[in-house]
Amino acid sequence: MLNGNLKAAISSLSRTKWRSFFTMLGIIIGITSVVTVVSLGEGLKQQVVGQINHLGRDVITVRSGKLVNQASGTSVSNLNLLAFFSASTLTGHDAASLSSLPSVKAVAPMDFVTSSAKTNAKELDNLFVIGTTPDVSQVLPETVEYGDFFDQGAPDQNYAVIGNGVAQQLFGELNPVGQSLTISGRSFLVRGVLAKSSTSLLSVAETDFNSAILIPLKPAEELSSGQTNILQILIKAKDANNLDATVNDVHSALLKTHQGQENFTVLKQYELLNIAGGVINQLTGFISGIAAISLLVGGIGIMDIMLVSVSERTREIGIRKAIGATNRQILNHFLVEGLVLSVGGGLIGVVASLFVFGMLRIYTNLQPVITLPVMALAVGVSVVLGIIFSVVPALKAARKNPIDALRGE
Amino acid sequence: MALIELQEVSKLYGFGDATTLALDEVALTVEKGEFLAIMGPSGSGKTTLMNLIGLLDRPTHGTYALDGRNVARLRPNRQARVRRDRIGFVFQFYNLLPRINVLENVALPLAYRGMTPVRRQKQASDMLERVGMRDREYFLPRQLSGGQTQRAAIARALINKPNIIIADEPTGNLDSTDSKVVMELLSDIHRQGNTILLVTHNPELTRYANRVIYMRDGIIVADEKKPIGRMAKGARRTYFRKRKTTDRDIVAGVSALMHDVPGKEVTETPKRRKLRHRNNKIFKHLGGRAIK
Repeated sequence: MLNGNLKAAISSLSRTKWRSFFTMLGIIIGITSVVTVVSLGEGLKQQVVGQINHLGRDVITVRSGKLVNQASGTSVSNLNLLAFFSASTLTGHDAASLSSLPSVKAVAPMDFVTSSAKTNAKELDNLFVIGTTPDVSQVLPETVEYGDFFDQGAPDQNYAVIGNGVAQQLFGELNPVGQSLTISGRSFLVRGVLAKSSTSLLSVAETDFNSAILIPLKPAEELSSGQTNILQILIKAKDANNLDATVNDVHSALLKTHQGQENFTVLKQYELLNIAGGVINQLTGFISGIAAISLLVGGIGIMDIMLVSVSERTREIGIRKAIGATNRQILNHFLVEGLVLSVGGGLIGVVASLFVFGMLRIYTNLQPVITLPVMALAVGVSVVLGIIFSVVPALKAARKNPIDALRGE
Repeated sequence: MALIELQEVSKLYGFGDATTLALDEVALTVEKGEFLAIMGPSGSGKTTLMNLIGLLDRPTHGTYALDGRNVARLRPNRQARVRRDRIGFVFQFYNLLPRINVLENVALPLAYRGMTPVRRQKQASDMLERVGMRDREYFLPRQLSGGQTQRAAIARALINKPNIIIADEPTGNLDSTDSKVVMELLSDIHRQGNTILLVTHNPELTRYANRVIYMRDGIIVADEKKPIGRMAKGARRTYFRKRKTTDRDIVAGVSALMHDVPGKEVTETPKRRKLRHRNNKIFKHLGGRAIK
């Protein structure tokens, strides 16, 4: 039954090729945009997850602001988005007090100073100048490729350790170690170069160390006239198997320095993952919701054209009924036609989104990831759309009185 | 038991002041194997009657028993099934689907029966062979002549082996040669035991029928049984009558022409008697029998 209807539907649609194509176009655009957005979100999530995992499981992150309601766990629905935009509540003092805790191995604050640095020859504006402590070398998985890290003994020296990407862009073939660069008018001596970070580039300050310049906390504070902008503090626990105890220690120590006000968040890695994933999911959902409107419009387009088609083919319906087609068979006939339009549109849309991904990967650093479930969902959605929006025209066709239909046209 | 039995069947169109009575309490019984010709002027309700018998339409009042079963009030899907299995339609304008080829057109009723494509194509092909259209299987309807198209339509009507063939002016669009072919085909089908209902304006075609009914204004005004091969009397009268247009006719307009249909409303006038005698002379001359 379906087979026969399918053939008939395809042949009758191919008679009005352009009309069918433009009807499909609505669905094609809708499916393409939804699939693209969802896959971009998926890609983003995978990148973030990759980078967070990159730090290692025994790293505890303290973030400014109370991001989640700890009492009810780290469920995304309790996410406090405002906390992302407030001024940092973390200070260098916090970092110092944390490093004296017995269960803590290393503490590295991430003080985001500025985004530009220059040498005599070149200037870069897209990097992260981060004030931190020498402990960072223990927290980060990246190793120093050339030279040395600034060490514990010289916390206030104008030393810098630069990321691999920065080294290439600022100094090119030259060995950067021993060269100097200028940040906000202050000159820094390059002590070392980090090995190339294996995780891919996503412009999230704390994780992309290829385009980072690490400087000691003291000069960093001085650069921003005594202020700090510590986005987060990375803590490496002494005992990786007893993270919860460390988290508790950190939490109570910070509560003390913050006079009992909990305007910070202590997160284990997987909690961080949850939050990052949640934010991206919400964002993706929101944008794909907007994109889904175009799907709706596409569906209405199908309904329109199907209605036109039904009234154009009144006589054909009459003939079919005269020779014994039941209402149900006429209904199926038009349902399948609507389905061919929408599923065809959906399939073309998926293919088109693959093309869009190619373009995105070539021309931007976004890395959309298409998964089988997303593709299946896209096709499923177009099936549902097809059924929903062809039901009305198909019913209209099926309920035509045979004799009126035969006289029609 | 009669194959078709209509009792007090009426059909109304429109409502309020615009109501038209297309069929006025028509009673008709058709036995199995009859070749029934239906004549009458345009608007007399012939086609409406055929549509009711063919279950394309529903009567406003009355009962319609097909093989003893009342089918007038069946649900649409059941009616469709009866249509599919028991009734074949041949239309004046062929009504083949224009965009599929002859073979697919003929096979279509089988598809609605749920037969597999291979089997239905085989059957359709055989049926086309029977109407002499085998070599035109893959033509589109528009590539055929009128007669060929009508033969394909007859093949389609026959494909489900219906017991009733309803032919609504099947030769209305054909020249005399094609008409003859189509009528011989119908006659052939009739000889094989099918019941045929033929609507026609052409008195010549009543030769194929063994019963002729005349309709006017939604009423069956005359019902004539006759041997096959002979033209019906009533039809003959219509055929050979040469009317002069009188002043009264001009006042009456088109409806004056309806006087030519036999029935109770035709009154005998001296003028009419004279005309009849003259016509009878012509009939005798042609070898026919006189009309009383």
